[in-house]
Amino acid sequence: MSSKNVIDMEISKNNEAINIAKKGTHCGMCRIDFLGTGLCPAGKKNGYIAYWPQGRMEIFNSLNSGRVKPTKKLLEIVDSCTFCGICDKQCNFTTQLRPQRVHEALKEYAHNLKQNEFQNVPTDEKLKKLQEIVGEKWATNDPIIIASYRRNIVNPDKELNFYVVMPENSKELSEVIKFANTNNLQFMARGGGTLFAMVSSTVMKNAMGLEDGIVIDLLRMKKLEIKPDDLTAVVGAGITAFELQKEAYKHGLRANVAEAGAHICANLASTGICTTWGNTYGWASDNYIDVELVDEEGNIFNHGEMEIKNPYSVEHGLTSLKLSPPGILTEATVKLHPIFEGEEAVLIPFDNLKDALKLSLTLARQDIGLSLAILSRKYLAEFISPTPQIAKDFDYIAKNYMKLNYVVDVICHKNDKKIVEDMVDFTIDKEMMKTLILGSPKLASLKNSEFLKMLSEEENPCKAIFAGPMRKHLERGLEATPENISKIYDEDLQAFFKKIYSKPEMTDIVWLHAFRIFPSRLMRQRMFIPRGGVMWATEKIITDFHNMLKDTGEKHNLENALGYISFLEHGKFAVLEYDYYFDHTDPSVSKNVNNAVIESLERTLSMDGIISDLHFYFKGLHRKEHILYPVPKAINEEEKILFKELIGSVLGGE
Amino acid sequence: MVKFLSEEWIEQSKKYMHEKLDPEKDLKNVTTSLLNIIEHVPPNDSTMNFYLELKDGKLTDFVVSTGDTFEKEATYEIRGSYGTYKGIIKGDTNMALALLKNRLKLKGSKIKALKLIKPLDGVIASLRKITDEFEE
Repeated sequence: MSSKNVIDMEISKNNEAINIAKKGTHCGMCRIDFLGTGLCPAGKKNGYIAYWPQGRMEIFNSLNSGRVKPTKKLLEIVDSCTFCGICDKQCNFTTQLRPQRVHEALKEYAHNLKQNEFQNVPTDEKLKKLQEIVGEKWATNDPIIIASYRRNIVNPDKELNFYVVMPENSKELSEVIKFANTNNLQFMARGGGTLFAMVSSTVMKNAMGLEDGIVIDLLRMKKLEIKPDDLTAVVGAGITAFELQKEAYKHGLRANVAEAGAHICANLASTGICTTWGNTYGWASDNYIDVELVDEEGNIFNHGEMEIKNPYSVEHGLTSLKLSPPGILTEATVKLHPIFEGEEAVLIPFDNLKDALKLSLTLARQDIGLSLAILSRKYLAEFISPTPQIAKDFDYIAKNYMKLNYVVDVICHKNDKKIVEDMVDFTIDKEMMKTLILGSPKLASLKNSEFLKMLSEEENPCKAIFAGPMRKHLERGLEATPENISKIYDEDLQAFFKKIYSKPEMTDIVWLHAFRIFPSRLMRQRMFIPRGGVMWATEKIITDFHNMLKDTGEKHNLENALGYISFLEHGKFAVLEYDYYFDHTDPSVSKNVNNAVIESLERTLSMDGIISDLHFYFKGLHRKEHILYPVPKAINEEEKILFKELIGSVLGGE
Repeated sequence: MVKFLSEEWIEQSKKYMHEKLDPEKDLKNVTTSLLNIIEHVPPNDSTMNFYLELKDGKLTDFVVSTGDTFEKEATYEIRGSYGTYKGIIKGDTNMALALLKNRLKLKGSKIKALKLIKPLDGVIASLRKITDEFEE
């Protein structure tokens, strides 16, 4: 009997587990201790994704779909789980999933298998050599472990004939690469895996995934050293944004980081750590002092070496597209920045993008704000709401009762706060944001209330509710307490989440920005694919680009919204992320996503002043001025034809 | 079916390209020369060169040699490992993708090379029809 049939027999019993596993997004939040619970003990000890909650869910998916047959390794993996419940807390916070139910089902399934249902993993000379390099434990070709890397680096359509290696240092990595080359094995390094997870159900999986060969998982490279005297930190390739920020904060310092689960080195090499803090902290090579890389021949080198070819310049235009960095980044010395006493958050609501842009460009050009961005209503809703449903209700309320469609979001020193307040009629302050976070379930419940109907009749509802006579009613009415917000969680988790929301940082908008912790924003139970680019910051270019992306999303029937607009180079350039949302468990939508991705890219290239996101991917180690200048021009008709041919060839011509 | 880069492969490739590929339809009447430098060729980890010259879409030269040097100048030089070429010939990946992933390195104008994508796809598709054997 095949493994698929075994799972099928249990399908009704396992239905919940199947649904949970399918919804897993590989956001990687189960690999960082962002709630103070500690980390999954099995994952921490054994390293491979297979031992982490996200990997167990992927193994379950693969067994359920019949793409892999069980090996004896499965027993070891399921028995390594102590059912401590950490993953349920972490995953519930970010996606409302309960991965432990999948682990329980997987364990029961594995222990019910007969001896003859386990496939043997044949001995392999290449594996032995890889194990000699990294140690027996840290190289494998076991299909069950390989299956856990599906959708987070391994192309889900491919057979599972891979090796996974986990080198501990650059020397081991160098040897692995040299071995791969002499044995004609392809290889690709994996950081957090989220970039590929986002594209794994789209046409871009062919371009970005590994088709066969060696998966190099860099998680073991855990060096992290803060150097407060020169405001730098040395980070190994296994260090995440959250881990670096946590250590930096202990020294009163802050790193420029993107998503909490992103690995600093991988993020640096791929998109250059593009954040809302970019106008102050910079982008691309602004972020680091030096890096250590291992190139495709296995040579280890540093940017600090005098003999190397200029590593900072880049090609421009149509042919500058790249799908890999200049090497595997194993260590980076990154810049840290001082945290100022009494940093503030100020949010200024707008009903239209034009006015939000006008204010934010003025602020950016005057260097006001450490973090400065325009957030869409949807982004704001998801930033503060603990569940997607509450976010949806908040979004509805903001749109229909408050006329709140955009906010200019500023994290700044006290003095800058005063400047901003003098420039606008009213603001939403840090305290009000805390109230909104803790009171979001209650606010959502007021969706069709008389209170909100009354509010909508005000000339300026936002002003009335955030700075006018209705503010005190809102504050009282929202009953914003840790206890109340904890009630939206499963009963067995409520006491835990009451404690979590009692921690000052979990409602501190400055801290949440710096650590990038948002409950329902990050790859919740469905996927999103970000589109966007960096552009010369005029109102017209930004607005035209925004409208083009919106129009493309609408045309292909995708839920869509602006993510954020932030700035670089004292407001000379803007970064715009626009998101297309889709359900990655529904294969029928992938065609729409593919078409929207390709069309938006083509239309971006036809616009003056914009570098598409795909054209700055994997250029993060370069100097931003080399990427940004000369300000790009739209491609001509001949280039458009060539581009279509290139995209057809790269993405498979769908 | 013959082994990639063998004497038989050279003969069959030439024959197939002459007989089956239409200079206009398949090869877009292209005039160019292309030197592929294939590294890490098993079993001795050697380097091989595979030179291709087309005039108005017709194959005019097709040479395979061993060694680190090659006497002819080509408009484009593409360098990559045996594994990468094997993947391309087998259809697991393609030239454009391998170039973007840095698995193939190109010498010559990139924008002009882009114009070769379609004709090259035709050549590779034809090579796929005669090759299914590779060194391991």
